[in-house]
Amino acid sequence: MLIIKLAFRNILRNRRRSLLTLLSMGGGFFLLCLTLSMSEGSYSNIINIFTQDHTGHVQIHHTNYLERPSLYKTIDKLDTILAKIENNPQVVGVTPRIYGPSLAYGKNKTFPAQVIGIDTEREAQTTRLKSKVKLGQYLTSNMTKDGYFEAMVGYSLANNLALTVGDELVLISQGIDGSIANDIFIVKAIVGDANSYEKMNVYLSLPAMQQFLAMGQGEQSQAHELAIILEHQQLAQSFAKSLQQQLLASELTVAPWQVVESSFYNSMQADKKGSYVSMGIIIFIVSIGVLNTILMGTLERTREFGVLKAIGTRPMSVFNLILLESFILAMFSCLLGLLLSLPVCYWLATSGIPMPEPIDMGGIIFDTMLGEISWYVVLLPSGVVIASTLLVSFIPAMRAAQISPLKALQAS
Amino acid sequence: MTTLAQNKKPKNDDSANSATVIETKALCRHFGQGDTLVKALTNANLTIERGEFTAIIGPSGSGKSTLLQLIGGLDSPTSGDVLLDNRHISQMTGSELSDFRRDHIGFIFQAYNLIPVLSAKENIEYIMLLQGISAHERAKRVTTIMHAVGLEGLEDRRPAELSGGQQQRVAVARAMVSEPSIILADEPTANLDSKTGIELLDMMKTLNEQQNMTFVFSTHDPKIMERAKRIIRLVDGCVVDDERRN
Repeated sequence: MLIIKLAFRNILRNRRRSLLTLLSMGGGFFLLCLTLSMSEGSYSNIINIFTQDHTGHVQIHHTNYLERPSLYKTIDKLDTILAKIENNPQVVGVTPRIYGPSLAYGKNKTFPAQVIGIDTEREAQTTRLKSKVKLGQYLTSNMTKDGYFEAMVGYSLANNLALTVGDELVLISQGIDGSIANDIFIVKAIVGDANSYEKMNVYLSLPAMQQFLAMGQGEQSQAHELAIILEHQQLAQSFAKSLQQQLLASELTVAPWQVVESSFYNSMQADKKGSYVSMGIIIFIVSIGVLNTILMGTLERTREFGVLKAIGTRPMSVFNLILLESFILAMFSCLLGLLLSLPVCYWLATSGIPMPEPIDMGGIIFDTMLGEISWYVVLLPSGVVIASTLLVSFIPAMRAAQISPLKALQAS
Repeated sequence: MTTLAQNKKPKNDDSANSATVIETKALCRHFGQGDTLVKALTNANLTIERGEFTAIIGPSGSGKSTLLQLIGGLDSPTSGDVLLDNRHISQMTGSELSDFRRDHIGFIFQAYNLIPVLSAKENIEYIMLLQGISAHERAKRVTTIMHAVGLEGLEDRRPAELSGGQQQRVAVARAMVSEPSIILADEPTANLDSKTGIELLDMMKTLNEQQNMTFVFSTHDPKIMERAKRIIRLVDGCVVDDERRN
């Protein structure tokens, strides 16, 4: 207790210097916290946009489907797997999809199209597809009175084929049984815009797609992909790992969005590393100030260290005393930094900074740079400030611990 | 009133029973080399018994402080050996020496050397904290020693709020409270006025007589010489006289 008292009083001995150090370290914390909040908030926003737009937080495929997609690499016993996933409390929504590259014919033109079979209700609960309907009405699994299934067509494809709601769309593909799949569908809606993910897609209901490609239906239902939305995107990796353990016996691979969108994830990580460099520079500048304070403090107290050692204080205890002083200073700096940064981060997380020019990201307008408040945003700067302070205190502490008591006592 | 002597427990039976507290054998301390070689202490052979009130005297540069620093383990001899309570202190490592100083040696410095951020009571208490003495025992000993050195009522004052004499009393109390085998005092009255110096010396003399504490002074203060039971005279680093008085 007396050691803690001694450390506190040593800090308060030169109040102006300690206050300046506190402000410098607190300022460093503030800048780190703000940088992290903006970086994490922006990425979190982007991740939410694309995961909720189409990808989902976790996807399930047949093994190797992601690397080499194939009509034949299917998820079988779909209902059993869906039930298992839906029972998990972390799951907000799950939707199955079937992919079939096709030729789309409308009016007088033919274009290649990615035809996607979706469970219309589950897809609406899991992604934003329903909200992206520009013209017409969202897809159902019903047939028209003439016995045709409905289709939703991407904006660009509809333009290319000069299609509008109510027109006939002919799709030609290959069935899973090797037969030629071809059928007529009625355009129910036009989705997305010229920049969105759906621009060249055609959406069919799951039964329509299964029938079109001659895939299993009902109890034998098959799909190529299951997209899952969780309570939070940060749960993706642990959830995927856990689910993969449960599905070990099957030929299924569970992948978090970081694997599914690996190129985005890798570039995001690279960008984060870039921001670590600027954070390192902030910390370096702050550390120089801290080093100066600790060095001055220990040099001024050389004689006292001599006394402490002469009366029986072990070198390690002197070392610990200086580190304790630095630790206390760092803790209070973090507290000050937290008090300064929390209101700003909260404002960034709730209101954000409006962008002068909104960015269209896959049909979603990105008009505000949002911040984030999380344990990571708060704990990383705390850890960095404390660790860097202890690191720069190491040399003065070693010096004080190793000095001969006689030499220290003779110091002026 | 409990005295420190009543509280005192022997650190080990051998050292507690032995009459010899310090023994120096052919102790030498040289500084520099070649043309700049200074022989601060040469071939000092001394034995100091328990309960002695010894003054090491001599002119400036005669090696008094050097001898005290070597006995206290603050410096290492060029050759020779120091035995304190039959232990070779010149062979100890840094941490062993710290522990040994903590448990066996009390220092009183000319410049008081109190910790400025601690109060008088805390300065005295600090060394007991290092020894791992319980809070209750620490409080008891602080009360006793502060009474003994006449510092009652000044417990919470910081060194800057005390006079030179009061600070040196705190230093004496700090040196004694850990119940060391020996107290080494380097010019303890040099910074004090004559009256305060006499009061302090009488107080130490009383403690020496009542509690059989061993004091070794480095001094050229006649007041200390008058009170010393033994006077060791040094000239140019050599012991030239060793006088015992009754």
